Amino acid sequence: MRTKSPHIGILFFLAIGVLPFAAAFVYALLYSFGAVGVLNTSYTTAFWAAVFRSGEFFKSLGYSAAIAAVSVAVSVGLALWLVLSYRRDFEKKALSFVLYLPLAIPGVVAAFFTFQLLAQSGFFARITYALGGIDKARQFPDLVNDPWAVGILLTFISLVTPFFVLLFMNVYKNERLGELKTLAVSLGATPRQVRWRVSIPILLTKTRTLIVLYFIFILGAYEVPLILGQQSPQMLSVLIIREMRQFDLAKIPEGYAVAVLYTFIVSGAAVLLFYRKKKTADAF
Amino acid sequence: MRFSVKPFILSLLVLLVLFPFAYLGLLSLAGDWRFPDVWPAYIGLRNWYAVLSAETSLWQSFLLSVLISVSVATAATFSGFFISRLVYYHPKQHLLTLLSYFPYILAPVVFAACLSFFFLKLGLFGKSGGVVVAQFMVAFPYALIFFGSFWGSKTQQLEKLVATLGGNLWHTFQRVLLPMARGMLLVCFFQTFLISWFEYGLTSIIGVGKVQTLTIKVFLFIKEANFYYGALSCVLLILPPVALLYINKRYVFNKLV
Repeated sequence: MRTKSPHIGILFFLAIGVLPFAAAFVYALLYSFGAVGVLNTSYTTAFWAAVFRSGEFFKSLGYSAAIAAVSVAVSVGLALWLVLSYRRDFEKKALSFVLYLPLAIPGVVAAFFTFQLLAQSGFFARITYALGGIDKARQFPDLVNDPWAVGILLTFISLVTPFFVLLFMNVYKNERLGELKTLAVSLGATPRQVRWRVSIPILLTKTRTLIVLYFIFILGAYEVPLILGQQSPQMLSVLIIREMRQFDLAKIPEGYAVAVLYTFIVSGAAVLLFYRKKKTADAF
Repeated sequence: MRFSVKPFILSLLVLLVLFPFAYLGLLSLAGDWRFPDVWPAYIGLRNWYAVLSAETSLWQSFLLSVLISVSVATAATFSGFFISRLVYYHPKQHLLTLLSYFPYILAPVVFAACLSFFFLKLGLFGKSGGVVVAQFMVAFPYALIFFGSFWGSKTQQLEKLVATLGGNLWHTFQRVLLPMARGMLLVCFFQTFLISWFEYGLTSIIGVGKVQTLTIKVFLFIKEANFYYGALSCVLLILPPVALLYINKRYVFNKLV
């Protein structure tokens, strides 16, 4: 009996942890080549050719990657500055709980809130009107559903920064950065050198896996761009779901082709991330 | 005397954190708040009474969300704990761990869209059970990865010690592993609860609008341009996580790094 139970457990793991992903991927792949699905009759590469020809996927990928990169870079930068400047204050009881509060806000609520604030009839527009800055709602700058994704960026930054602040605070403590800083100072380092040569490199090295993971999560974000994004280009998940759920059934396979491409990219990133992490762990 | 910007920055930070809670709370109590008014014409409990009415069925959505999230969190936490032991002690540990990363890293909404055919065939489409199963598929890999750090050499040595002292697998779990992992189990439960509680895309695809959790309600109210009820749903969506965070604060981030 002892030898059988681990096999059952691993089978269970494969059934619920691996099989659904594999099934979803194979089904999407077959659909994209016309082997299965509504109106599909035989194998064809036409849908893939259409995806590459339209270029919408690459536009969407570039747009999503840019939003993810800017959101993560600004959030990490802000969090580093806050932790390195105000860490002691954050450790005080009242402030420490306040720092955790943003984690209770899901993407859908954050997007709704941003919409309420930044829309042309939103809270900021009303204040600008009250101060005499505008006469009509239309005069207020378009900050949601806008081409520069201002609303999306602000929402992601406000969602991700608190997470990185807490993460860096924890790494600071675990890596005993305070003691390392004292050592660096006693060896003659200036405060600037301590910050740029000791604190920031350690904080970034220890958290790089999570930083990359957050980039990937934002790349595939759905709710925030659905509420705050524009019609074109759209972020990847929004584009995929739009293509898959459109009324023109003949075009649905193109949606599956885009989903396969996205899965390839994200899975590749997961493999790279995992082996890099393993390599680092093996080195120690 | 030297001027310090610190109090201003810290006060601004606290204001920025508390502002969404205050604003959404106010919007949920508001009525007739039209442009260009900076303050609502009506503030009262009118919208909150609607929570109990059949018209909006928000109360039912709240209970349904709690039920789905508790089911997902319980199943993911316990299966994640027991299965992760097998995965992390397995000779092919690295390959198995890598495989568990894929569903975790993929956007849940895309995952659900590609899986919807199978849910349809299994008769799980548009059913609460289907949403629980789909959310479990996302929460389980998280729990599996989460418990990975628990099964280190220290735990293995303790297990060997129990075996040397004559304990069987049941004793090992009951007397050593489960008490040792109590904190982590709690954190994992909270985290997977939040994964499920915050989920929208996957729920909308598998639930097809029939399974109306709170996140689905928020979207419905946004589409209807009913921002007062939308804000009310947001407040209901935020309150349980705030309570959980208060309890969970000490544990959450110590386990992430």
